[in-house]
Amino acid sequence: MTLPYLLRMVCLCLASFFVLNAVAALLVRISCKSAIRFAESRAPGTAARFLLALRILPFALAILFVGGLCVPSYLWLEPAATAERVGLLSVVLGLLGALTWSVSVARTAHSLASSLRHNRLCRLVGEEIRVPGESSSLVIVENDAPLLALSGLIRPRLLISSGVLHALSSEELDTALAHEQAHRRSRDNAKRFLLLLAPDIFPFVRPLRTLERAWSKFAEWAADDQAAGGDANRAVSLAAALVHVARMGSAPRLPFLSTSLLACDRDLSARVNRLLQASPIAPARFAPTQARLRTISLLLGAGVAALLLAPSALPLVHELLELFLH
Amino acid sequence: MRDVVPKLSRPLAYTTVMTTLDRLFKKGLLDRHKSDRAFLYSPHLSRQEWERQCAGSLVAGFLSGPSPSRELLLSCLLDAVGEHDARLLDELEKKIRCRRKELIRQGQP
Repeated sequence: MTLPYLLRMVCLCLASFFVLNAVAALLVRISCKSAIRFAESRAPGTAARFLLALRILPFALAILFVGGLCVPSYLWLEPAATAERVGLLSVVLGLLGALTWSVSVARTAHSLASSLRHNRLCRLVGEEIRVPGESSSLVIVENDAPLLALSGLIRPRLLISSGVLHALSSEELDTALAHEQAHRRSRDNAKRFLLLLAPDIFPFVRPLRTLERAWSKFAEWAADDQAAGGDANRAVSLAAALVHVARMGSAPRLPFLSTSLLACDRDLSARVNRLLQASPIAPARFAPTQARLRTISLLLGAGVAALLLAPSALPLVHELLELFLH
Repeated sequence: MRDVVPKLSRPLAYTTVMTTLDRLFKKGLLDRHKSDRAFLYSPHLSRQEWERQCAGSLVAGFLSGPSPSRELLLSCLLDAVGEHDARLLDELEKKIRCRRKELIRQGQP
């Protein structure tokens, strides 16, 4: 198939993105069990960050390669104004790349739209109040449903039903709201947005969901620890709040870009048992593991930058791409 | 093999145990690797994974049956889940009460 200059570049970028993302995601999937076991031995906050980084890694590597090497080498070394034949394999991979992207973007757009719709509806039927000292507002919805959630991406709002307000004591309510505020500080909804945007191995198959579920569990545990703040009484109050809300029935279905107090119902028992253990876990301020993870990320970034800036990198990549294209 | 034979509830011939372990390996239920001249056997799945697999195949068997048996299974499951949830929440509440009493005894009201 003969394609003009720019279309060829688009095809090449999409095909390279698809291949790199699929290979890296496959490797991540293979190491998934070991990664989760490793995360289980760390503090919940560190575990959540590690699993999220692992989930995003294939997408980030593919974007970095395409944006940092494919596009510059093509623009610099490919003679313009020529039409060239492109191999069938490249076209098929390019189409698969386009499909992967389209599915991710459509999924993200759909979730954003449903999150906006849900928040607007809650504000319409509920009463919005400002909480002193907090940047996000609280929306009280007249309903008996077990609703206590942080919803939205840019300005997430705390949603609470009047049923939950009446069912919880003031200490329980305080820790439950602190749990949601911990999600806001950790920007967990923005992380959910990234999870939606980062494609899996293939467009409609999501084998990396195991990592996403593990991340979600550790994110909840980290928020529990932050809400308890190392205080045994607060930990017990939060455990009681969890059980009281669970007694109210199954939680309403919320958009993906939101975190709820009872996000993982199946994990309720484990969460309560953690909170009731003899010495409550204080949230880690800046653990040595975090420092190590940051150093590794910095070294990785420096390595990639050195590779991009190396004089022989672009011609080498261009040769490889030519081979791939034909 | 040497570890398995003494742990059995009734005495069995060495060859019987060896054949059984070999059959379990061939069925994919055990893993084995050679160490010196002996085979070391280990379970292929953890207890949790095995129970999950058994439950999964049982449910799949029911769901692939005729419509009345599917509905019966789902209704039984829903009842069981409801009862289990209520019991679980009762147990958790009991634990919370115990922990509260413990904290009060320790002087942290």
